[in-house]
Amino acid sequence: MSANTYDAIVIGSGISGGWAAKELTQKGLKTIMLERGRNIEHIKDYVNATKDPWEFPHRGGRTQKMIDDYPVLKRDYPLNETNLDYWASDKDSPYTEIKRFDWFRGYHVGGRSLMWGRQSYRWADVDFEANLKDGIAVDWPIRYKDIAPWYSYAEQFAGISGNKDGLPILPDGDFMPPMEMNVVEKDVSKRLKEFYKEARHMIIGRTANITVPHNNRTNCQYRNKCWLGCPFGAYFSTQSATLPAAMATGNLTVRPWSIVTKILYDKDTKKAKGVEVLDAETNKTYEYFAKIVFVNASTINSAWILMNSATDVWEGGLGSSSGELGHNLMDHHLNVSAYGRIEGYEDKYYFGRRANGFYIPRYRNLNGEKRDYIRGFGYQGSASREGWSRDIAELNIGGAFKDALTEPGSWHIGMGAFGETLPYHDNKVTIDKTKKDKWGLPVVAIDAELKANELKMRIDMEKDGKEMLEAIGAKEVQTSSTNPFLGRGIHEMGTARMGRDPKTSVLNQWNQVWDAKNVFVTDGSCMTSAACQNPSLTYMALTARAANYAVDALKKGEI
Amino acid sequence: MDRRTVIKNLALIIGGAALLPACSQDKAKSKVALKNIDITADQEQLIGDVAETIIPKTTTPGAKDLQLHLFVLKMLDDCYKKEDQQAFVTGMGHFADQSKKLYSKTFDQLDAKTREAFLLDIEQEGKAEEAAAQKNGDKKDAAPATIPAGKYSPELKKFYSIVKRQTINGYTNSKYFMTNIVVYELVPGRYNAHFPYKQNKQYK
Repeated sequence: MSANTYDAIVIGSGISGGWAAKELTQKGLKTIMLERGRNIEHIKDYVNATKDPWEFPHRGGRTQKMIDDYPVLKRDYPLNETNLDYWASDKDSPYTEIKRFDWFRGYHVGGRSLMWGRQSYRWADVDFEANLKDGIAVDWPIRYKDIAPWYSYAEQFAGISGNKDGLPILPDGDFMPPMEMNVVEKDVSKRLKEFYKEARHMIIGRTANITVPHNNRTNCQYRNKCWLGCPFGAYFSTQSATLPAAMATGNLTVRPWSIVTKILYDKDTKKAKGVEVLDAETNKTYEYFAKIVFVNASTINSAWILMNSATDVWEGGLGSSSGELGHNLMDHHLNVSAYGRIEGYEDKYYFGRRANGFYIPRYRNLNGEKRDYIRGFGYQGSASREGWSRDIAELNIGGAFKDALTEPGSWHIGMGAFGETLPYHDNKVTIDKTKKDKWGLPVVAIDAELKANELKMRIDMEKDGKEMLEAIGAKEVQTSSTNPFLGRGIHEMGTARMGRDPKTSVLNQWNQVWDAKNVFVTDGSCMTSAACQNPSLTYMALTARAANYAVDALKKGEI
Repeated sequence: MDRRTVIKNLALIIGGAALLPACSQDKAKSKVALKNIDITADQEQLIGDVAETIIPKTTTPGAKDLQLHLFVLKMLDDCYKKEDQQAFVTGMGHFADQSKKLYSKTFDQLDAKTREAFLLDIEQEGKAEEAAAQKNGDKKDAAPATIPAGKYSPELKKFYSIVKRQTINGYTNSKYFMTNIVVYELVPGRYNAHFPYKQNKQYK
């Protein structure tokens, strides 16, 4: 075996790439994981994780220089002083926005598994059947029963804390003990259930933060500083979970600074034989060879790699024969929220910083209901006591004000909606050959927007938020609905969708590229529809399932 | 204790090298190294006096003890747009002038009560304007409510609001506050979802 030859290549080291590496190496495959950015070593490189708030010169805020340096990231909360190094440089890696698309990226070992929101929900059959029933896009080639055991497998290893709520829309999983709702959330949850006669539920979030020790990882310490990297390894990330498992096999090589520029396609065998890598530090080109390739570069970049590959056979790249590669880009649309004050409970508080909130699963367009849009949305939020920022009448300066700053304010509840986005052929990424990144590579152009179904849904997202908060007794309820753009959900999906027919989909039911059976795409790009639940758990399950299939097929000589 | 020792000790209390004032005895210049704005020692003193009125020394340290005015300047220098920085400096001039015009004294010559009254009057005017703007925003077709002609320029109000916001930000995020007043635990280790709490006073 030559130095650059492995059994398997995994492109990308985020949530799905880490899973691919773990599964393939544990099944005995010599695997190389290629990561375009730098290495981040677990614990050692979480440089801000144990700093106190006052150690940050701007107390965690953003400077004008940061704003100038990050023209995209500045559009929302990710731009901040505490974990700036975890976000990809907008200047080194620009992209073209034919329409506004907020693309927030992590280019380093671990990818966005280091900064992710950790909410982990199963999908239900209603989600997998949705496209077929609505007659839009294409049908998912799998159903809940196909993925259910893999959800269990992923949950057991990743460590998902949650409550078995018994809701058909949100199947229960193999959970660790749930985190707890605070006293107000518990009461609000009861009131909501009563008011809507059990048709709507507020449950504790199901999160990839472990609540009991697990695989040499310490349980959550309620710091709520997850996105700095956790020195306790208490939330699932590549570094805390899949990477150590893969390394323990002795079968994994990790190569940072490796930008995969294309998959090397062999016309004779109709398979991939390896990949071409541009070393991000030296700008030199290398080739790596393997029997199977897992593409986990994140939805938009995976599409970019495929579009750059095998262009001598297919002008649009590997997987483009269906005409769907790069199309059907989805996200969850958000920035619709509701907020209100809860009276009473002044003698009650909470202690610790829970890295989790409550969840209101989808309730629209179910059980025969038909709105003027299809699909639905869920809400995530929390109840808490306000801090100093509250207005204290007549006491806004001076000694009494200073005292008041030490007291918690009244209780408030806030929540934001996550809406399903439909797969539209028009919403797409292409390669913009006129613009180059720091390495001279052509960049992606993103052309995607919310359409009528989402815009109608947003009216309900705002109206329902207000109605529910008022129903549970909140006062001074305010709502906000802003920035109806894609990207901000940081849940990009769909650019290489799975399907049942090579004419209308890029991947089959095993995440195999129809046009190259030893290439598997198991990140968000494989998604045929978006549902409204956070998608990462589904990527984990699909990746483990595909890896299992791939190794079997390899052993049988099928690929 | 001489001034330098005081500063050193306070720097220890506050923590964060960024707040360390230069150990220069240069009276004309601000103690904090600034890249984008020019602040004299007198202006720094004025910001300190305003910050001290917002968070006064009581049985616990006040804004000046905690060098919060230097934090205000650090934030102004790094985190605000050029136009806000300019407005701040202009507004600081208006503030000094207004003190002389309304009270015939410079701000540092005013007693604590008058200083408070002065600042609260600025807040009041700002709030009245906000309320009028909100009303106009709510009823777009109705005749706009007149915004009362104010005593204080927009720049002055900008100056004051930045000082106030960052003084409170600096105070509630200072090491002193987070280790002595409302104790912050870096590693809580547990979540207590129902923690009994006795409020000292009702602030409503």
